[in-house]
Amino acid sequence: MILRVAQAVAAKDLRMEVRSRSAASTVLPFAATMLLAFGFALGPDRLLLTATAPALLWLAALFASVELCYRSYQNEAANNALEGLLLSPVEKGAVYLGKAAAAFVQLMVLLGVTAGIVIVLFGLPVGPSPVLLVLVAMLGIGGLSALGSLLGLLAVRGRTRQAALPVLVLPLVSPVIIAATRAPTGLTQGNTSGIAGWMGLLAAFDAAFLAVGYIVFAHLLED
Amino acid sequence: MVGHLVSKRAPVTTTQPAAVVLSRVTRLFDGLAAVSQVSLEIAGGEIVWLRGWNGSGKTTLLRLIATAISPTFGGGSVLGFDLQKQRSAIRARTDLLSHETRLYNDLTAAENLRFACRLYDLDLRLVEPALERVGLDEVAAVRAGNFSQGMRQRLALARCIMRAPTLILLDEPYAGLDVDARVVVDDLLGAAHGKGQTIVVASHEAPPPHLVDREVLMDGGRRVAP
Repeated sequence: MILRVAQAVAAKDLRMEVRSRSAASTVLPFAATMLLAFGFALGPDRLLLTATAPALLWLAALFASVELCYRSYQNEAANNALEGLLLSPVEKGAVYLGKAAAAFVQLMVLLGVTAGIVIVLFGLPVGPSPVLLVLVAMLGIGGLSALGSLLGLLAVRGRTRQAALPVLVLPLVSPVIIAATRAPTGLTQGNTSGIAGWMGLLAAFDAAFLAVGYIVFAHLLED
Repeated sequence: MVGHLVSKRAPVTTTQPAAVVLSRVTRLFDGLAAVSQVSLEIAGGEIVWLRGWNGSGKTTLLRLIATAISPTFGGGSVLGFDLQKQRSAIRARTDLLSHETRLYNDLTAAENLRFACRLYDLDLRLVEPALERVGLDEVAAVRAGNFSQGMRQRLALARCIMRAPTLILLDEPYAGLDVDARVVVDDLLGAAHGKGQTIVVASHEAPPPHLVDREVLMDGGRRVAP
């Protein structure tokens, strides 16, 4: 039952994004422009670019997550579809999981495209452990999706509306951004020492955000 | 507001328990009472017309019955379930239709209904006949965002028909509808009697006497008559 509802919500969100391309059309130009600007500002120093690229990528991902989660709930607020979810006799935590899953897929695609731009534009090495890089990306995006999908609801339910979302997301997501930025720095240079610790931290935050979101979502959705 | 309705419908003969029992229900918004001390009992299978001007509290009352909002004071039961403690059970058996159609603009008409099927665990084969019933079968693949308000309301009606809930709450069901769509609403009201469905309609319009059992007048958040 929970899986069926989560799957339906995720499929619906993804279908709507494919149709409207609202997140992609906002986030990708921003990310590309930011990376270009930093590329020119930092110059051709390969070491400097390698050191700063993960931070730039995760800044783009962070911006994308805030924008994407807000838009996702804006779609629910239009025609008051959110009330349809509230009044359906389903486990509300399943709705949350579905929205987080859809955000995860979209953010992974956006991060993949942005990382492609970084690799091509800056000529950066992927390093000898691309699988570990992808795992770090998945764990980091997992945290952003889990938190954004919970707090995005407040942006359409609360009185402060959209302004509340970055204010709430940014401080809470800082540990995820720090861990996700630090982890790939060594990986691209073939150094895997300490990676387990960063990945463990990311996994712990993901699990905590998902658990809190699953429990709290219903209370935020109710009147 | 005019006098009470004399129904031309056959009286409701049902052994069902009361569909709605509200006891001195009050709902405050920012300290202001949208609904104040309203008590109401609606029998199973009854079609009741809540009439009042804008701001009379009829929409808030429907939303309270649907469990979309909670009462600030008072309580009651819907279909035998406690209004505050058994919301899921009420929601599974109730549908609230209003001008806010709860549709997704970027999904087609059929996709909107299929999504509802998945939420309510309904057979996907119900989608096509429901669209036919409201005359939207030929635009099943068109996005709801391209529909007129009337077409959206018909699509919301199709969702309600598909679900066949025990209690239907209609908020201004004729607003924005063309003649054809009004017929669909009337059909829904007419068919409800045979199916044992209870319907509560909130409207500022006078009720169609042949379709309604009883009229309740609201004003200033209070039930003023009968």
